[in-house]
Amino acid sequence: MTDFSIKTGKTIAIYASILGMICLAIGLVEIFGGSGETIPGDIFGGFVLVVMAATYLVGVKGTLRGKHEGLSFLIGGLFLTGVFGVLYLLMMGADGLMYLLGEAEALPALADARPAIWIFILSLPLACRVRSLTARMTW
Amino acid sequence: MPGFSRDDAAATLAERRYQAIGDILETVVTKGEGKWTYTDILDHVFLHRWLGIPIFLALLWAVFQFTFALSEPFMVMIEIIFGWLGGLAEGSISNPHLASFVAGGIFDGLGSVLVFVPPIFMLFLALSILEDSGYLSRAAFVMDRLMYRLGLHGRSFIPMMMGFGCTIPAIMATRSIEGEKDRMITILVSPLISCGARLPVYVLIAGALFGAESAGTVIFSIYLLGIALAIIMALIFRRTLFKGEPSPFVLELPAYSIPTAKTVIMHMWDRGKWFLVRAGTIILGTVIIVWFLSAHPWGATSGGELIENSYIASLGHFLEPVFRPFGWDWMAAVALLFGFLAKEVVVGTYGILLGVDEAFLGDSLVSLGLFTPLTGFAFMVFVLIYVPCVATIGIVAKEMNSYRWAGFVVAYLVALAFVVSGLIIGVGRLLGFS
Repeated sequence: MTDFSIKTGKTIAIYASILGMICLAIGLVEIFGGSGETIPGDIFGGFVLVVMAATYLVGVKGTLRGKHEGLSFLIGGLFLTGVFGVLYLLMMGADGLMYLLGEAEALPALADARPAIWIFILSLPLACRVRSLTARMTW
Repeated sequence: MPGFSRDDAAATLAERRYQAIGDILETVVTKGEGKWTYTDILDHVFLHRWLGIPIFLALLWAVFQFTFALSEPFMVMIEIIFGWLGGLAEGSISNPHLASFVAGGIFDGLGSVLVFVPPIFMLFLALSILEDSGYLSRAAFVMDRLMYRLGLHGRSFIPMMMGFGCTIPAIMATRSIEGEKDRMITILVSPLISCGARLPVYVLIAGALFGAESAGTVIFSIYLLGIALAIIMALIFRRTLFKGEPSPFVLELPAYSIPTAKTVIMHMWDRGKWFLVRAGTIILGTVIIVWFLSAHPWGATSGGELIENSYIASLGHFLEPVFRPFGWDWMAAVALLFGFLAKEVVVGTYGILLGVDEAFLGDSLVSLGLFTPLTGFAFMVFVLIYVPCVATIGIVAKEMNSYRWAGFVVAYLVALAFVVSGLIIGVGRLLGFS
């Protein structure tokens, strides 16, 4: 017996696995020294992305089977993505404040945004889909 | 009864108690089919056998990134204010003795410590969010698995987490640990968990030597090293001084909740205000002593200008040989000596000795060649490990009911600080770092 329709689970699981693979790829690049200015080398930042990726990917199998257990990992992954997305956005805001105080040469540009921010934006459709699924589901 | 310890009995009792609770709940609560609460969903992930600890580490890293990166602009604002006040004092006070005291002692010394109010409050804000959301008790739960495997007590991790704020309440919280041996071990290792007072030292040195981008990660690694050392030392104490099995650990996990702004701010203020109280008492008192020793003999130092002729330089040069192998000079020696009273004083001492505005303190450490990234990192590790502050030693003596144990804590921490910092320097030099 499934907790939600397998068709819905399949859509969500495919999106989550793509997101998980992106997190994993960028995380590994960050751990192994980065690539240009877009993906800076950052061992712990990369580790965080790998943890995020693992959380998404662990949940894919269960979600494909329409099980709550699988979906819970996607919710955990979305939670982590939200925490780190907002954290990096706040850090960009702090950089902007530093510019206003005359301590930085330029305002932070969109191109300076860390990959975790883009992943956060990419995760929003999944978050909406999971939210609408959990709202009409009996947990 | 042979083969049946007191701990086994406690574990069996706890098991039976929960079985009885389960039986009662089964008869009075009607559960929906497959009904999961948000607490169940999140616990399924955060308490996961393999993901639990990596998620905990990731969130802890977020706490330190949040602390360092977000407090930076506020620190700059305080630096600007103190720089302006220092200039005003020097220009408007005609008595040279008083001008030196106000500009050098108060604004350079105390000001360089007060600059760190924002990161300390940010750290407590982040920890309050974790605690009020119900996550912090989960952290103790996930660490219990690892700690129990190492022969340690899971409950020990809760006082350790409290130690991120201040070691004193952390040591007092060990009263909740039932086993006497478990409690003693926890008290002995609690000073290794980095308290808020050490944060200004890390923020100053990591910010100056590793840059704003990497400082958060460097500070996080220092905190992780503290946890790792606490676990290693606890294991050593368990195998030597306090042999036996850890007592069973039963922990009630509260439901997750969204922290309210009011309670988070209240908790942040309750924990952070001690820093302001210390700044007005012990830190102020100590920086006045440091200023006096750095500006006198008044004639020989030309009113504090020629610091090499001061009493504090004589004291520093006397202590310097002990620290020279680590690449630290006499200023580091006196900073560490006065840091015994309160760790924040390490920063205040540098503020007075270098006689620069708070804004340029970090840059001066680099431009004067006082630290390289390797010697600076080893210095931060030394500050993490070596003697806890006087108040902590007092509480160790009180809680262990013995001045001998307090003396033992000081002795083993000093020895450990020399060993670990020496290893960092030695290995670093072998790897080609200067």
